[in-house]
Amino acid sequence: MTMTTIIMMAGIVYLTRVSGYFIGLQFRHIGELRPILEALPGCAMMAILIPAVRQGDIVDFTSLAVVLGMMWKTNNVVVSSVLGMAILLFGDNVISGS
Amino acid sequence: MSVRHSMVKGMQNSVGYFISTFLFGIMFGVAAAASGLEQWQGLLMSGMVFSASAQFAALEFWQSPLPLGTIAMSVFLVSTRNILLGMSMTHHFDNHSTGRKILWLFILNDPGVVTAIRLDSGIDKLGYITGYGITLMLSWLISTWVGFNLSNIITIADFGAMDFAGPLMLGIMMVLFSKGSAASPIPWIISGIAALVLHEIGLPAYLILPISVATGIASAMTNRHRSHPPKGETRIKANNND
Repeated sequence: MTMTTIIMMAGIVYLTRVSGYFIGLQFRHIGELRPILEALPGCAMMAILIPAVRQGDIVDFTSLAVVLGMMWKTNNVVVSSVLGMAILLFGDNVISGS
Repeated sequence: MSVRHSMVKGMQNSVGYFISTFLFGIMFGVAAAASGLEQWQGLLMSGMVFSASAQFAALEFWQSPLPLGTIAMSVFLVSTRNILLGMSMTHHFDNHSTGRKILWLFILNDPGVVTAIRLDSGIDKLGYITGYGITLMLSWLISTWVGFNLSNIITIADFGAMDFAGPLMLGIMMVLFSKGSAASPIPWIISGIAALVLHEIGLPAYLILPISVATGIASAMTNRHRSHPPKGETRIKANNND
């Protein structure tokens, strides 16, 4: 089942890569479609992210808030991720210790 | 510039992204191990899918039994930006055979396309993007492996906490998308609110995802309609003013 899922995922992602190029060859004017295609990935990520955050605990929420704030301010993926991971790993100890 | 030289140029220009891809790959390895994937399965996924957002999105639904439909839907929805990437490269690959295009588009990647558009016409765009993609693929595979091995060390600390590594990375990608896109964030926010409401109601994930996305897209279309009314409506209004 895992193999089937991975192959299916690979197929879907590959099709989106190839189809864009070949669709573009057929239809030069995609003005009507563009805002939808631009909004879709962000909408999907939010629809996945929000329920995950809602199920998380205070440490998860804090790490996400810190990461988003840091990313927005510095745009530094490395610093933001390391900070977020550190909060996830050691946050429980800090909260239970205080 | 020849295809080969353009490919080398793409490899050279990708060094900066090599590092950030490496970090995402490590986090994917850690998150995949936390989700119960074997190392070879994680590596196979990274090699075959080669998409951080799609892989992190899939991990969010990685449970037994695997919900194939929900994973397929989430992977497709977060990958739709590839359609735009492909479209932006239309007619830039005309001097290549269809077979080569079909094969090399496998490693079409965001930063490669974005930087290729800025380059002069002397550079072979497909070669450049492929060179760029080869380096990123290498980084992605090595870092996935490192992430899996790092997860053994993290186990000593608190591996359970790493369950949230996937959503954390999705959050980072959201900020990157938001800053790099000219699109309005309102549809994303509406989609998020809809997801929260539906989650609170107790709907299953396979329903939350399409309904929330449809709500966000509906708002995007409404917003566009308001800011750019159809030509017919504009004409009627103009006539009335006359």
